[in-house]
Amino acid sequence: MAEIFDRLVIRILLAAFVCLMIYLYRYAHVVFYPTVKRQVLKKINPSENPADTLHLFSRLIGISIIFSSITFNESSGVFLSLFHFAVWGTIAIVLYLLSLYIIESIVFYNFDYTDEILKRKNMSYAFISFCHAIVIAYLTRTVMMEAENSLVILLVLWLYMLVIVGFSVKYYTFISKLTFNRLLIQKNLSLCFSYGGFSLGAGFVIASCFDQEHYDITVYCIQVLLKTVLSLIIFPLFKKGLVKIFPIRMGEQRVHEGQIDTEMQSLGYGFYEGSLFISGAILTTMIVNRIQFGTIYPFF
Amino acid sequence: MYKIFLYTILMISYLGLAKALSPSEHGVQYLQNERAFPKIIKGNQSTAILIDTHATGFLIKTYYQKYRVISGYDNVEELIVRTSKEFAKKNMKNIGLALFAKSDAIEEFLPLPPGSLYLGNREFGEWKTNKKGKTYWKFSKAFKNYPKYLGWGKFRPDPDFFQQMRSYTSLNQPYYGPHNEFGPTGKITQTSFPQFFREERMKRVEMKTLLIEYFKENF
Repeated sequence: MAEIFDRLVIRILLAAFVCLMIYLYRYAHVVFYPTVKRQVLKKINPSENPADTLHLFSRLIGISIIFSSITFNESSGVFLSLFHFAVWGTIAIVLYLLSLYIIESIVFYNFDYTDEILKRKNMSYAFISFCHAIVIAYLTRTVMMEAENSLVILLVLWLYMLVIVGFSVKYYTFISKLTFNRLLIQKNLSLCFSYGGFSLGAGFVIASCFDQEHYDITVYCIQVLLKTVLSLIIFPLFKKGLVKIFPIRMGEQRVHEGQIDTEMQSLGYGFYEGSLFISGAILTTMIVNRIQFGTIYPFF
Repeated sequence: MYKIFLYTILMISYLGLAKALSPSEHGVQYLQNERAFPKIIKGNQSTAILIDTHATGFLIKTYYQKYRVISGYDNVEELIVRTSKEFAKKNMKNIGLALFAKSDAIEEFLPLPPGSLYLGNREFGEWKTNKKGKTYWKFSKAFKNYPKYLGWGKFRPDPDFFQQMRSYTSLNQPYYGPHNEFGPTGKITQTSFPQFFREERMKRVEMKTLLIEYFKENF
């Protein structure tokens, strides 16, 4: 009984420590987003600015996803495991916020956080930012798990992941009929669902490319690169196939961007595109990662 | 059109990258035909015995061959090579035979029973006559394990075998032994290289049997 109670106490202690780390994260967030100081450091009123609430709390979800990858090894002592969590948690916070900052600088290079979220309360911007937060968190988590407590490998893989994500976000303009910048200014929700589906799909694909056994970092990076290029080959096949299987009725004049005039139509098109991107990406991960070709050695 | 062009470039890039960078592309040497043996097998007094062959792939097959390489003054090793379809098909009937032999400056590419290279060579052994008056080839002490490596079992070549082999060689014809003891139908080969002749590899499975086995295993 004493042992069980002791373990429960340890769990409560660790939960409190994780809360402490998230509290630290709240202040770290201010470093990268100095304009949110007023919202973050005071009490938050969610109904005042839903876009800002979504933007801020997507980060909280993100950091929770990353923290879930860190393990406590209680057998090496409570204080050592707490120290381990503190070190890797801090690294995770820094890498996560840095990644978000870089990726959002690429995607929203024409937009400013203060203008879109604080002044215009742009929900489309906030939702896209939410998707970025989730995707980057998921990818950082994957990279941290692959690094297996090696800081050097973590930095190499993190940079590598960032390069791939950076290229992937540019891929959206090739495969979507929606114009990103113009529709984002118009706070168009169709865009946010379409782009959300795309970014989540890309996240699945990239994470699956990183999720493999590795013994040698060079060979591992080569395998990731090959899988990424292979995904780029397979994904359009699924997208084309799904469009053929589920054709949509849109007049020829409406197929072109900007012709989707009414709110409902545009929202429907956003769902449609977003769903295609996600399902195409999930099926791509199956083709890229789940086919076992075997080796010749069982026969030889 | 622009998208098709980009897609083609992507596919070419993938194939090129996979060929250049993939670890699975390294380590297995390519043997186009018998003339490529000297590039792969460097040692002197060496012979390469084909002990297994295998094809992988669904539409485009890749052919592999496994050799036992015996170098006169080195260790015995097993070598897996990737090969051409023509060479693999041509040598399906040469399992258990030496496809390459190199002695000093002479290179022999004719399929012959394993160990033909060493017969008559005083460095490796000598002809001996037993109590029954039968003459046979005996390897010297340093090479006493060679009959095992060569897959001879209890077989020991006699001078008739040697002469017959030489006459076949002069006619540039493969030789499978006086009673076809070597090769896929030969008893000596079948006994010495049982892996290739395993029952499960030889039998052709019907679709019905395959499905029944699948359902038994999975449900």
